[in-house]
Amino acid sequence: MKSEKCKMDRVNSLILTFAICVLHFAFVRELQAQAPFYQGKNITIVVGTKAGDVYDLYARAIAQYIPKYIPGNPNIIAQNIAGAGSLIAANQVYNVAKPDGLTLGAIFPALYFDQLSGRTEVKFDWTKFTWIGSPTVSNHFIYMRADTPYKTIDDVRNAKEPPKCGSTGTASTGYYMPKLFEELIGSKFNIITGYQSGGDIDLAVERGEVICRSFTITAYFAREPFHTWRKKGFVRELFQTGKKRDPRLPSVPTIYELMDKYKTPESGRRLATVILAAGDVGRPYVAPPGVPADRVKILRDAFMKTMNDPEFKADAEKRMLELDPVSGEELEALAKEVIAQPPDIVERMKKVLGQ
Amino acid sequence: MLEAIVSGFWQVLAWPAFGYLLLGILIGFWVGLLPGIGGLATLAMMLPFSYTIKTPIEAFCFLLGMLAVTGTTGDLTSILFGIPGEGSSAALILDGYPMSKKGEAGRALGAAIMSSVVGATIGALSLALSIPIMRPLVLLFGSPELFIITIMGVTFIGTLAGASLIKGLLAGGVGLMLAAIGVDPQTGSLRYTFGSLYLWDRLDIVPVTVGLFAIPEIVDLAVRGTSISQVPRGKLSGVMEGVKDTFRHWWLVFRCSLIGVYFGILPVLGANIAQWIAYAHAVQGLKDRSRAGKGAVEGVLGPGCANNSTRGGDLIPTIAFGIPGSASMALLLGAMLIVGLQPGPEMLKSRLDVTFAMVWILIISNIIVAGICFLILNHLAALTFVRGSLLIPFLLFLVFIGSFTTNNSIYDLVVTIIFGLLGYFMVLYGWPRPPLILGLILGKIGENYLWISTAAYGAKWLLFPSVLALIAVTIIVVAYPTIKERRRRARYERPEDAI
Repeated sequence: MKSEKCKMDRVNSLILTFAICVLHFAFVRELQAQAPFYQGKNITIVVGTKAGDVYDLYARAIAQYIPKYIPGNPNIIAQNIAGAGSLIAANQVYNVAKPDGLTLGAIFPALYFDQLSGRTEVKFDWTKFTWIGSPTVSNHFIYMRADTPYKTIDDVRNAKEPPKCGSTGTASTGYYMPKLFEELIGSKFNIITGYQSGGDIDLAVERGEVICRSFTITAYFAREPFHTWRKKGFVRELFQTGKKRDPRLPSVPTIYELMDKYKTPESGRRLATVILAAGDVGRPYVAPPGVPADRVKILRDAFMKTMNDPEFKADAEKRMLELDPVSGEELEALAKEVIAQPPDIVERMKKVLGQ
Repeated sequence: MLEAIVSGFWQVLAWPAFGYLLLGILIGFWVGLLPGIGGLATLAMMLPFSYTIKTPIEAFCFLLGMLAVTGTTGDLTSILFGIPGEGSSAALILDGYPMSKKGEAGRALGAAIMSSVVGATIGALSLALSIPIMRPLVLLFGSPELFIITIMGVTFIGTLAGASLIKGLLAGGVGLMLAAIGVDPQTGSLRYTFGSLYLWDRLDIVPVTVGLFAIPEIVDLAVRGTSISQVPRGKLSGVMEGVKDTFRHWWLVFRCSLIGVYFGILPVLGANIAQWIAYAHAVQGLKDRSRAGKGAVEGVLGPGCANNSTRGGDLIPTIAFGIPGSASMALLLGAMLIVGLQPGPEMLKSRLDVTFAMVWILIISNIIVAGICFLILNHLAALTFVRGSLLIPFLLFLVFIGSFTTNNSIYDLVVTIIFGLLGYFMVLYGWPRPPLILGLILGKIGENYLWISTAAYGAKWLLFPSVLALIAVTIIVVAYPTIKERRRRARYERPEDAI
């Protein structure tokens, strides 16, 4: 009996030990689950432009402020993968990066054109990106050297020889904005692609190799050489793409005014909507498809909180980065809308994109 | 103006600016020595730390000081071990490493460091002197001229760096072909990527350079079974000899420094290219061309000063237009904005003292690092007398860490090994390696400029006077040594003819 009790005790104590062990591990696991996922981790922002570009300046500013709104305060690293109008970066984020919420991409808003026109190099589905947010919408404009005969967009329309504009590639606004105007109101531009960066185009404009460039109004008011150019009257602005005239460009006609003036038909207006949607997407931040929903929420919330952070706002103002944020949810809706286009609009879009 | 010069000088030496300068130098020193991690990547990493620095000059002391010394200490690794410490130091391997093998490491190091100081000073002075003529200097060359310059670069190196002209040009051609790998920059189409996403980003220069140059030397060291120096350790003087060499060949150093400055000014081109052009120029001037690649001190001096003087040139477009002349300048430009300085022509009026402070930072940081180097130079040179079998594991570790840290990709190691093998066979069969590297670097740049030139001007650009002049220069430079050689031979043969 005694020995039996002894045995029972031993069994009991074994069970107890086992139970304690199980509980212990369960508890530890519970603890681990409670530690924020991002604690001690690195988030990489893959920036689709060279260092120093406005996309890069935004990414580095956000990288500095967003960690405090992500539970666990991860480190954020900006990595530049430039080229092909950020197509390389987008493909990389979509295909190579793991959907663990540790890789974000800062890509051009117009990459959906390439998908719509069925280019084989596109290795992503625009609608399936995990949309995090965009710090600003970007309206575009075009500058033209003031010492050329093209004083207004009408001059370009009536010119025998189209002006030469510089661009980095067909997916950049430097390429398709002038082309859109050609399609909508018949003002012809000769687009020279192949420059490495916006800065290289600006230098080429100083040299007179090309004389115009279309890009964002934000960048135009953010940095040199444009401050000097405006002061000296080196360039003039011919058009802008916003719904209303930008207060800083009060005498420059918008695309909508020009379409009214030249009586652009309805299909043209739809084309304009598809292409200009890129401006509403702004400077988007994306993650690969399939990031767990809780992490998407963390990132989206952190993004919008950063945008409203007074310190970030003050710093952005100091760095001359405009803020007009768009939420991840809005971007997701926009992405679905632009991809659902009838074939005839897609065909005209391809024409604008030189394909 | 004089006031700004003096004010800039004292602001750099003031506390805490000088402390930041020393910190920058300390980081730059190690970054330069270690292969792979380059000045650019380090600048990107250090940029956030500069956000907390309040005044522009203090921030530049840290960032520019760091960048300025990477080129100098990178030269040391190239000379001692045949492993490029920086992408912009690879050309120093060609004659610097053979000097180490001959037991002249001290002399080579002395020459490299002294020429670096002279180069950096000339670069900085050019920055100061060119302030009134900055704009035309930058705008002189358009895309057609830049395209010809890229072709010129490959041709120079192809014809001058090796013994055989045909082999040199062919190696350059292979380099150009390798540059085609990746995503086409104009339309985004894929070339020679074979379904590999790694190849989309083109071959990275660092793993290719490290593989091509370092691996064959390590294999050679293993096979020889001796120390790097093939002659036994004698007295370790020679450092002062190298310093004297710099001034003995002062005219060469001066010209090569100017080459560096101008390549710094030109957009996209930079120290990585200037070093090879300077090397070709230095070798071309040798009375006995067969000395090239066998430890001619001129081959150390040329690239040694050119890769430092580019820094001064780099700053010129940044200041003249507010447009960065290179990737590292783009980062510095970001730093300028953050410390509340608008880079561009305005700086020359309102903050001339900052501009001169940058000139002083370039000079002072190089002098300080040279001082540190001279203190430890003999110990460094002694490494070349260490038994190879002790050194090889350490060198291999450096090589692979260096390749890996550029992109943190395992494929970079594969590329290093493949190009290591290629390099080994190139050495074995007498094919020059520099043209291949330069072709790879210039291929992408050249392609862009060719595309732009043709799109902007049709075929007309081929007849631009500036383009024709550059083509003529290329032909003269390539043909001149051959003609000289023929004449020399003719002169020797004449007496026999007479008989």
